[in-house]
Amino acid sequence: MKQKRLFLRAIMYAIGLLFLVPMFIMVLTSFKSEKEVLEPASLFPHSFTTTNYEQAVHSAAEAPVMLWGLNSLFVSCSVTLLVVIMSSMSAFAITRIRVKGGETLMNILVATMMVPSQLFLIPMYVILGRMHILDTPYALILPATAGGFGIFMVSQFMRSLPPSLEEAALIDGCSFPQVYWRITLPLCGPALATLAVFTFIASWNDYITPLVFMEKITNYTLPVGIALFQSSYSTQYGLTLSTCILATLPLLIVFLIFQKQIIESMSSSGLKD
Amino acid sequence: MTFRQRSNWVGYAFLAPYLLSFLIFVFLPVCMSLWLSVVQLDLSNATHTKMVGFQNFQDAFKDDLFWKATSATLRYAALMVPAVLLIGTLLAFGLFGMNKGRDTVRAFIYVPGMLNVAAAGILWQWFFNTEFGLINFVAHKIGLPALPWLSDKAYAMPAVVIMSIWWTIGATAIVILTSLQQIPTSFLEAASLDGASGRQMVSRIILPILRPVLFFVFITTTIGAFQMFGQAMILTGGGPEFSTRGLVQFMFETAFNGFRFGYGAAVSWLLFGMIAVFAVIQAAFLRRQA
Amino acid sequence: MRRLESFSIHGLLAGLALIVIASGVTRSVLTGGLTVSKKVNITFWNGFTGPDGVVMLDTIKRFNEANPDVDVSMQRIPWGTYYNKLTVAGSDGGGPALFIVHADALPRMRRAGFVATIEEAFQGPGALNRADFDPYVLDRVKFNGVFNGVPLDIHPQGLYCNAEMLKQAGMVDANGNAHVPQTKEEFLHAMKATTIEVSANQPEKQWGYALTAWGSNMRCMMAQFDGRYVDQNGSPVLDCPENIKALEFVANLAKNGTVPPPSNGLGWFGYRQKKVAMVWDGVFMLGDLTRMNSFHYLGGMIPTIGNHPGTMANSHVMCLRKGLTDKEKAACVRFIQYVSNHSLEWAAAGQVPARRSLRATPEFRAMQVQNAFAKQIPYMQYPPKTPVIFEFQLILDLAVEKAVRGQAEPKKALREANKAVIDILNRDKVEHPEDQGS
Repeated sequence: MKQKRLFLRAIMYAIGLLFLVPMFIMVLTSFKSEKEVLEPASLFPHSFTTTNYEQAVHSAAEAPVMLWGLNSLFVSCSVTLLVVIMSSMSAFAITRIRVKGGETLMNILVATMMVPSQLFLIPMYVILGRMHILDTPYALILPATAGGFGIFMVSQFMRSLPPSLEEAALIDGCSFPQVYWRITLPLCGPALATLAVFTFIASWNDYITPLVFMEKITNYTLPVGIALFQSSYSTQYGLTLSTCILATLPLLIVFLIFQKQIIESMSSSGLKD
Repeated sequence: MTFRQRSNWVGYAFLAPYLLSFLIFVFLPVCMSLWLSVVQLDLSNATHTKMVGFQNFQDAFKDDLFWKATSATLRYAALMVPAVLLIGTLLAFGLFGMNKGRDTVRAFIYVPGMLNVAAAGILWQWFFNTEFGLINFVAHKIGLPALPWLSDKAYAMPAVVIMSIWWTIGATAIVILTSLQQIPTSFLEAASLDGASGRQMVSRIILPILRPVLFFVFITTTIGAFQMFGQAMILTGGGPEFSTRGLVQFMFETAFNGFRFGYGAAVSWLLFGMIAVFAVIQAAFLRRQA
Repeated sequence: MRRLESFSIHGLLAGLALIVIASGVTRSVLTGGLTVSKKVNITFWNGFTGPDGVVMLDTIKRFNEANPDVDVSMQRIPWGTYYNKLTVAGSDGGGPALFIVHADALPRMRRAGFVATIEEAFQGPGALNRADFDPYVLDRVKFNGVFNGVPLDIHPQGLYCNAEMLKQAGMVDANGNAHVPQTKEEFLHAMKATTIEVSANQPEKQWGYALTAWGSNMRCMMAQFDGRYVDQNGSPVLDCPENIKALEFVANLAKNGTVPPPSNGLGWFGYRQKKVAMVWDGVFMLGDLTRMNSFHYLGGMIPTIGNHPGTMANSHVMCLRKGLTDKEKAACVRFIQYVSNHSLEWAAAGQVPARRSLRATPEFRAMQVQNAFAKQIPYMQYPPKTPVIFEFQLILDLAVEKAVRGQAEPKKALREANKAVIDILNRDKVEHPEDQGS
């Protein structure tokens, strides 16, 4: 039994490392000189150089990188906060309170996820224009709260948990909002933390919407701003990879800083005997 | 008060913020795209926009490139959906079975998902490059034949699928794992005290609890596979000979590069129909299993 | 007794809320307080994200200094997504006052109503001299006899050589410098001579020549073999004998194994890796080479393989949005004239100026690659002038791909393509009867 577990662990570690290999190569390559990228004698850079990063930052005049990062942080955190709260509230209404028409709404939500959203670019531009929020972060935040993914995901998690605890609290005299805030939210903690991570990353990496809806360079998000570093015709992989890393790095840092909390809320099951 | 006494008004209050957002940012654009699908839009002069009924849909059925794109989408989904479900579930069970190091390996598997599609695409484009790429460089070193990954119809779609799995499987595994972890340990302990075998535990206890989440994974993976866009766009540009150019890319290019927004909308709704059919079949199948 | 263990979700939400407030306040402090100037503000969109963008930024800076009443600000969007953004903004009547459109995309943008006429640039004080532009370049921006834009540059395709490899293969002139092949015989000879098989001191194969974007390679040959897209009546003739000859040459290179297995974009990559001695590509790729040190490259005309020299080309065209005020339009026109007059600096970033007088300057003559490529200007061929250009190109590229991969004979591939293009043009006639021919 113990050997079996050890074997499983070895295999899982091997698989995990396999997933990381491309990332390693990406990071290593970004520290290689142009010549070395072209003639890969070895995976590791012979002469460690930061030219790619310097070139990336230098080649863009008028590049407020810090501001872009701040914009990204503001947008992604707002979206995550709103999506987590709105999704859990809606899922609570549908699967716990079981409002009339809730299941129908659910089906409609899932159905709308099947329409490719690329076509909505122009209608969305018109709508946001009429709302006078084009070229503001709200043009990125508000539409992102409308997706059905979060509600669908949280609802399915709630369905797999028996509502007995919430029922007990209701009998004890708690109101619905109290039950939602004090019991359902912590119960769904792992699912919500997972949703938060997905939402944050998706929002951070969103490229086409900020590109189209933002005008002033000071309103750009990081991925859109960073894309400016890439020459349209360039095949400089070292430079390209370093710009990609620059755009992803803050995400990794945020993830590492909050990993403990996220992982904790992800893995601790709400119920302990 | 219990959940059995429905309180619709409180429920609607809980739904209200989302419903408002949904009406403005989903319902309205959906209506607009429905209207688009039955007109021939004239960007320069709104008065020239004319109703053409189902002409756009008929055009699609006669369009070779539409069928090529449909075939690419179906081939991608046929490879991707089973692969993601199978590998994702296996990874989740593997992680669940780890008593130590679970969090580390989970993070490893999820890290690729943090790259945006452009970064992931550029990276793998370089790996797959036939003549000057890394995979064939390594293959050459260990004596394997170099494959024309992105330039041969036989390998291009598998290459897109490999990259997509690497990029997205972490999320699937984590969703399933999160649900697995919510099963109270007492359930499993009690069952194993009762002498249930491993297989019985999976089929009698774990799977029934997982069913809602697996359903979620089924549906979202299917939708994601049918809407594949960025990966192929960056890796292959849709080639060779359009063999990896899926419906969303076809729709996007027709609308935004060809300026045929009505036709693009019609293609979107046809794609919607395809996904819906598959989703309903899957849902029925899953329900029968229940 | 059951109890709730984890309350960290509340912590997570509180943390997020804190970051939202903190970052929101900081960014509004940083971006707020922008002064409203009395200047005429002009936004200028383009896809110049490489070294070309640095030059353009510099030009704009000098223009703004010389014209205190105008403030031009440039927004760069990578070409891959540029037209998407322009389309979305334009469809709602918005978008920048001034923007770049490729010459072949101009008919499409004009039909969509995004582009205003710009006769003013060629009139009044500071007027641009029409005679300084090549007539067929001006023809690209003229619709029903009216100007819809001002060509900024010309970007032909040309031959890039690795000088070291040519020298090693003995391709030298009387002075011992590398000799750029010019004729078919010289080119085929150079291709053979610079191809080196794997051996003890050659760990990887060196190729003499590689296809880049094969659609472009084919279009260069079309220009040389007198091939055409459409006949005088505007009917597609993609399967004309001249085009078949052009495609046969390109396809045979792949068929005979004299070039690496075709994969779009690969040729240029190999050339930069110094594994390929010669490629054909656009003059704009030069920016990619200037950043490399220790690489001796040379530019030349595309070797004459057909009846005469020839290459495919395109142009960046400066365009105005409809609905500008007179004041804005005047400022834009002044800026366009300024940029055009100063397009010599622009050429240094890897472009050929559209102005003849600038190409005649010693400064331009000293730019080896640009000057060599510019010699082909009398023989250039632009893509057809049609609003359905996107589909037209897509179909032709597919035919070339089929032929290059050996999936179909050039003749058959082009015949099928021609049929498809006829269908597209017929459909367009039905859909847009009011906008046919220009």
